[in-house]
Amino acid sequence: MRIFDPHVHMTSRTTDDYEAMAAAGVRAVVEPSFWLGQPRTSPGSFADYFDALIGWEPFRAGQFGIRHHATIALNPKEANDPRCREVLELVPRYLDKDAVVAVGEIGYDSMTPLEDLAFAAQLGLAVEFDLPALVHTPHRDKVRGTQRSLDVVKESGIDPGRVVIDHLNEVTVELVRDTGCWLGFSIYPDTKMSPPRMVELLRRHGTERMLVNSAADWGRSDPLLTRRTGEAMLAAGFTEDDVDRVLWRNPVEFYGQSGRLDLADADSPADFAGNSIKRGGA
Amino acid sequence: MNLRFGYGTNGFANHRLGDALAVLADLGYDGVALTLDHHHLDPYAPGLARRVSGLATRLMELGLSVVIETGARYLLDPRRKHAPTLLHDEREVRLDFLLRAVSIAADLGAEAVSCWSGVRPPAVDAQLAWDRLVDGCARLTEAASKAGVPVGFEPEPGMFVQDLAGWRTLHRALGMPRAFGLTLDIGHCRCLEPEPVADCVVSAAPWLVNVQIEDMRRGVHEHLEFGEGEIDFPPVLRALADAGYRGLVGVELPRHSHAAPDVARRSLTFLRAAAGQSGGTADRAPALGQRAPGQRRPAGAVPAPEVLRAALAAVDDGGWLDEALRRVAADPSVISRLFPAAARRCGRAEVLPGWTADEAARAVLLATLPAERAVVQARALYRHGDAAEKRAVLRALPLLPVGASAVELLHDAIRTNDTRLVAAALGPYAAHLDAAAWRQAVVKCVFMGIALACVDDLDHRADSELAAMLAGVADERHAAGRELPADAAALLARLKAEKGI
Repeated sequence: MRIFDPHVHMTSRTTDDYEAMAAAGVRAVVEPSFWLGQPRTSPGSFADYFDALIGWEPFRAGQFGIRHHATIALNPKEANDPRCREVLELVPRYLDKDAVVAVGEIGYDSMTPLEDLAFAAQLGLAVEFDLPALVHTPHRDKVRGTQRSLDVVKESGIDPGRVVIDHLNEVTVELVRDTGCWLGFSIYPDTKMSPPRMVELLRRHGTERMLVNSAADWGRSDPLLTRRTGEAMLAAGFTEDDVDRVLWRNPVEFYGQSGRLDLADADSPADFAGNSIKRGGA
Repeated sequence: MNLRFGYGTNGFANHRLGDALAVLADLGYDGVALTLDHHHLDPYAPGLARRVSGLATRLMELGLSVVIETGARYLLDPRRKHAPTLLHDEREVRLDFLLRAVSIAADLGAEAVSCWSGVRPPAVDAQLAWDRLVDGCARLTEAASKAGVPVGFEPEPGMFVQDLAGWRTLHRALGMPRAFGLTLDIGHCRCLEPEPVADCVVSAAPWLVNVQIEDMRRGVHEHLEFGEGEIDFPPVLRALADAGYRGLVGVELPRHSHAAPDVARRSLTFLRAAAGQSGGTADRAPALGQRAPGQRRPAGAVPAPEVLRAALAAVDDGGWLDEALRRVAADPSVISRLFPAAARRCGRAEVLPGWTADEAARAVLLATLPAERAVVQARALYRHGDAAEKRAVLRALPLLPVGASAVELLHDAIRTNDTRLVAAALGPYAAHLDAAAWRQAVVKCVFMGIALACVDDLDHRADSELAAMLAGVADERHAAGRELPADAAALLARLKAEKGI
């Protein structure tokens, strides 16, 4: 089972996690920039964080044979802190980087006017830099937050096929299924989504445009739940090809739209015909 | 400089001869060194005259010159490599082959026939071997003289005649006939000649009829791709040109057949670049080393920007780099967005040994900046770069007119735990690091498992203080039941011996 975790915060994880992930079949990850638990108080600490996402963290991942890419943005929660507003001016510089495959996480936390501004501005950057966008949906008031996110996406003019609406559940999935956006599901030990519930959603909605991630971070979370979901799919009668589509080909297709996904040697199976972008072959 | 480059067909052992010729002509080579072999114009197979005549036509169509090489391994004896030689009891078999080679060479209009002595068989004593060699060479030279094709006798490490001194002795023993010339292998000079390579060329020049070229290391007879060995080529090529040598300079990489087209492409790019900038590294960076000609080239010696640019001509970037360089020249500030895009536009294939297209393109972009902007931009690009961009800045520093003013970037890189950055910080620009910082960085390499080959000027610069630090590491490793990496252990042993510790 080859696994591409399209949303995992490896900065907060240990090398034990990398080792276990590699053993479980994780060969590639995307690490979205987000908040860190402890609020930041200046743009400088964002710059160092972004630098780590395109410098140190890929190096760490590489030691375990895992390809690491990132998404960069000012996240919605910290968009509310006036001390961090200048981060929006830092973001474009990072969107030029090879390993940055989307703008994200953007979206809503508390649906404030400042969040509106940051969300719309960064969707504009995604269009300008020709990158996909990763949209976080809020924990509180989730249905309205998801609906409003979809409205903002629509207004921005970005191709919905280049947007993933993340952290969906049984309730919000219905809002997104027919919009043309991709659907992201974060499998958590006991909150957002569990492997059996995910399997049920896949049974009901199919595997097209469905992305499964662990969203593992500094909180209680488990980077192996992608693997557990794949196993639950097989146990429920899905084929290995279905699992490969959800856990590998779908994220490759979505982030491959950036033109920057570098999976040379990571996607070795000969039958692979996805749209990874191999570069550097002369 | 007007040198003509060729490539040995023994480096195309997996190609049909016709295909190899087409590949080489397409790449832009001027000629081939054709090793007669069972699969390449077998001189013992039927239809030789017809095949030779067809080949002559083909060479003319492709515009390729040719020299004939006779070093096939198992053409005469399927069980014993290179046997029989002119030294064996069955030496007439070898002589018959060489005479066939001469007549094929004449029919092809070849510029020379190359041969060697072979290894002395244990059963043949040195005097007998010498007598046989002189006799064989005399008969060969007579035939060659009549055919109007010079013999190029090649000293070969490990063989009975293995160096220029041996060739001179043989030449004198033959009466210094005009038709008995020299095939000089540039790599062999580095391997075992007492003189620097360029000096060998100068002294050999009057008798030179054929030149083979490849990289090599001192004392190791292994034909290496350019840049993998220790030879500084621009002065060597300059010496060939200055000596008025007009024959082929043929790349000799018989163990690279598995990747022949790529190796041949890279080799020609390298040679053309080296021939175009024959000033040598010492001219560009005199402050970084006062090396005698031919002295070991520094591990991280940096090709001039023009050389990198020439090598990048092989990259299909749709004209992106040309346009980028034009824009940077007009407005240096635009480098901030072009620099990160270089890998996506130019790819990451190796264009010169040790240089990938993205790093070469980034170095060229930096070198295009006006001198007064170079250090500011280098700092900014490093500060805001991802790891690959940072590495490219570090590697380009010796090319930039920044003096020692960017040394803080090395300190930053050495503070990281990213092996790519630490290694890149120890190239030629590390000459600006003070001794204490440099030693710390070298020992950090040992800790991080970075091969010490990345450390420029290590042999020169390693001192007894470094030895003491390495000895400390070794003691701690031994106490923990572990060993130093082999390269560090060898360095420590050498330093102990030299410094008398």
